[in-house]
Amino acid sequence: MKRVSLFTICFLIFIASWVFLKYVVGGLISVPIPNSVIAMYMALILIAILVHVSVEDTRFEEFIRPIHETLVDEKRSTRRVVLAVLIPILMLGYTYTNIAQKANPAGDPRVAHPVPPSEFILTHKDKEIGTMQEVENPYRHYEKDDPEEFKSHVENGRNVYYDNCFVCHGDHLDGKGHFAHGFQPLPANFQDPGIIPNFQESFFFWRISKGGPGLPNAGTPWNSAMPVWEEILTEEEIWDVILFLSHYTGYSYRSFGEGH
Amino acid sequence: MRTTFFVLFILMFSLFVVTLTSYTQEAPEVSERGKEVYEESCAHCHGIEGRGDGSAAENLLPRPRDFTGGVYKIRSTESGELPTDQDLFDIITNGMPGSSMPEWESALSADDRWELVAYIKTFYSGFQELKESETLPRLINLTGKVKYSQESVEIGKVLYTELGCIECHGNVGRGDGTSAPTLVDSWDYRTWPANLSQGWNYRGGSTTEDIFKRFIGGIAGSPMPAFEGDTFYHFGLTPEESKRAVELENKEEITPEDEAEYAKYSEKMENAIDAALDRAEGTELTPEAQKIYDDAMKVVYEKSWHLANYVKSLSPEKRPEYAIGNNVLRSQYKEGDLPTFDDAEWETLESSYYPLVGQVIVEPRQFNPTIDSVNVKSFYNDTEVAFLFTWDDRTNNTSVEETENFGQSFIDGLAIQFPVKVPKGPTDEKPYFLWGGRKPVYLWQWMASEPETIKELTAKGMSNAGLQEDQGNVQAESEYKEGQYRLWVKRALKTEDKKDLQIEPAVFVPIAFSAWDGANGDIDTKRAITSWYTFVLEPVPSSRRFIYPPLVALLSLGLLVGLRQFVQRKNT
Repeated sequence: MKRVSLFTICFLIFIASWVFLKYVVGGLISVPIPNSVIAMYMALILIAILVHVSVEDTRFEEFIRPIHETLVDEKRSTRRVVLAVLIPILMLGYTYTNIAQKANPAGDPRVAHPVPPSEFILTHKDKEIGTMQEVENPYRHYEKDDPEEFKSHVENGRNVYYDNCFVCHGDHLDGKGHFAHGFQPLPANFQDPGIIPNFQESFFFWRISKGGPGLPNAGTPWNSAMPVWEEILTEEEIWDVILFLSHYTGYSYRSFGEGH
Repeated sequence: MRTTFFVLFILMFSLFVVTLTSYTQEAPEVSERGKEVYEESCAHCHGIEGRGDGSAAENLLPRPRDFTGGVYKIRSTESGELPTDQDLFDIITNGMPGSSMPEWESALSADDRWELVAYIKTFYSGFQELKESETLPRLINLTGKVKYSQESVEIGKVLYTELGCIECHGNVGRGDGTSAPTLVDSWDYRTWPANLSQGWNYRGGSTTEDIFKRFIGGIAGSPMPAFEGDTFYHFGLTPEESKRAVELENKEEITPEDEAEYAKYSEKMENAIDAALDRAEGTELTPEAQKIYDDAMKVVYEKSWHLANYVKSLSPEKRPEYAIGNNVLRSQYKEGDLPTFDDAEWETLESSYYPLVGQVIVEPRQFNPTIDSVNVKSFYNDTEVAFLFTWDDRTNNTSVEETENFGQSFIDGLAIQFPVKVPKGPTDEKPYFLWGGRKPVYLWQWMASEPETIKELTAKGMSNAGLQEDQGNVQAESEYKEGQYRLWVKRALKTEDKKDLQIEPAVFVPIAFSAWDGANGDIDTKRAITSWYTFVLEPVPSSRRFIYPPLVALLSLGLLVGLRQFVQRKNT
C-alpha cells in the first residue's frame, strides 16, 4: 500500500483543526467561536505545521515534493488542470459572496452590570439614604432578630414582585416573563448564579429605584425598559422586594467588604 | 442468539409498561408538600384559597383561574366533565400561551407538579365526589381524525360560517366578529375571542387535536360552547339532511310535502337535543335515545375534524421570527414611483415582525395589551420611502364612546418612532426608547379617527410630546378590514424641517412602535409598545460584484501559471 504523503497528512491536520474549532468546540462543546478568533488559531496551526516540516531538509523536501510534482511533472497534468480550474473558481465564489453580502447592524455594546459612580449617594426620590458602600437593607436584621417580622416583609416583597415585576422578570424570577420577548436587553434573570451573589443589596436598590434611565451610558440607558420604580414604589417596598428575590432564589447578596 | 432475543423481548416489554403507566398517570395523595409549593409558586395569582384572587390577579386578563368552581378551560374530557389529572399536570407543565400562566417545567420537578395537581383538586369538592363514585371523566374520543387536506379545509370553511364561528371569531378568524366587544366570562370579566390567525397564542396549544378538543369539550367558563345539543347547528341531522333542511328553509313556495319533510327533521333534531340534555344531566339513556345521541355525535365529530383543519389553516405554523439582530427591516430599492396603498407589488415583500408588549413602565400602565404585533414592509426610490404597516385589532374604534359594560372605549392608533438624529454608532447615545428623553424623537402618529392623516410629532418623553409646526410632509392611506389595519405611509427621504429625521440609504436607523386598541381602554400611556429596532434602506447591490471576482479569479490563475514557470526555470 502506498504511503500517505507528508503533505496530505499536514493538509488533513489543517482541515481537521478547522472543523474541530468551528463545529466541535464552537458547536457541541461551547457557543460558536467568532471567525476572527478561528482565523488566529488557524494561523498558529499553519505556522506550527511549517515549522515542523522545515526543521529537517529531508522532511521539507518530502513535504514539497507533491507540490513540485503537481506543478511541473508530466505525469500529473490532469491534477494540474483540475487545480487550475478549481482554484480560480473558488476564489471567484469567495470574492463574490463577500462583496454581495448584506451589511448588518452593529451589535449591542452594552455593559450588563454597569458600575455606579464611586461615592454614590443612594436616594429615593429626593431623600438621601446614604452612600452605596454603607447602606444596608434596613429589614435584613429581622432575619435573626424577629423571624415573624422578617416573613411579613418577604411576603410583602412577594406581592410587590407579582404586582409589578413578574410580567418581565418571570414567575420563576428567571427573566422569562410574558413580556420579556418584547424588550432588548432582556430582563435580568435572578436565577442566574452570577447575579444576586455578585451584588450588594444597595446596588439592587439603586438599579430598582433609578431603573433604565438612571444607568450610566455604558449601560445603554436608552434601551433598558426597567422602570424608575421610585416613582411607583415606596422605599420599604423596594427593600422588601429585594428580600423576596433572595428568599425565592435561595441566593445571598454579596455582603460588605467582600472581594474588593 | 436465544439470549439476545430474550433480552430484546424484556426491553420491549418494559418499554411498553413504562409508556402505559406514564400515559395514565394520576396525582398522588394530597400532602403538605403540595400546599407548600402552591403557596410559594401559585398563590400570588390564584389566591391562598384558590379563588383566583391573589394579589397580582387584578392586573391580569385573562384572570387567574378560580379553582373553587371546578371549571377548567383546557381539558381532554367531554363537555361538563372535570379535567383528568393529566390535563392539570400538562397545563402546569406547559403553561397557557398568550396568558400570564407560564410553563413550570423548568422551575418545578415533575413530582412537585404532581403534588400541585393533588392540592389544586382539594379546592373543589367535585373531584373527591368523582373519586368516591369510582367513575372517570368521559374522555374525548380522538379516533377518526380527518387528515389535513385542502378538501377538508374547504369543508371546514363552510362549517365555520354555518356553525356561527364568524359571530365571535370574524370572517377570517382574527377575533373581530360582531359580538367580540361584548363578551364576558362566567365571572363577568371581559374576554376576547381568540385571534385564530395567531396559533402561538392558543391557550391549549395549536395542534389539530388541541383545536378539536376545544370544540368537543368547549372552553369551560368562556363563551366558547361545546359542540353538542342545541349549541350545534342542525344537531341530529346527517350532512345530507342538513343540506336539505337549508334548502327547505330558503324555499319561497312551500308545499305540504315540504312542510312534512321539514317537520321530520325538526323532530329528529329535538330528539337528539333531548338526548344530549338528558345525558348531560346524568340521566340513563334508553337504548334508542343512546343511538340517536351517538349518531348525532358521529356527525359532530366528523365535522369538528374538518373545522379543526380549517382553523389550523388560518395561522402560520410558528410565530414569525422577530425583526432583531441581522433580521432587520430592509427597505427595498425601486426605480420610479413607489407602490401605492393597493398595489399588488407589496405582496412580493416579506414582512418584518415586531412583537408588542404592554407599556408597564410609566403610570397609568397597560398590563393586558390586545395587539400582538406590527408587521412592516418598505420600498424606497431616489427621493421617497414608503411603508406598509399591518396589525390586528379586533375592533375599529374611531371615536371615544361609552360602552355598555366596559366603561369608555377610545380611539385606535399607531405611532412610529425614529430618533431626530441617527446615532453615529452603537455607543453613541440614542433617545430613550419610550418616546425620547434627554434626546428627542421624531414620531408619525396615526389615529383611526383620521384615517388618511399622519401627524408629525417631536417628543422628549411620553408626557412631553408636541405637534411639529410644519405638518403635511407625510402622506397616509389606511383601511380597516376583517380585524386588521393596513396603513400606508410615504415621505420624502429629505425634508427642510430640522426636527425631522433625514433618511439616507445604507444607514441603520432605530425604529420603534406604539399601538393603541381603543376598545381595550388604551389611551395615552396605556398602550402596547416595542423597544428600539432597526431599519435600513437596503443599498442597491454594488456593480463591483461583477468586476472584482473575475479579476481575483484571473489573478489566482496567473499566480499558479507564474509559480509553475518559476519552478520549471529553477529546475533547468
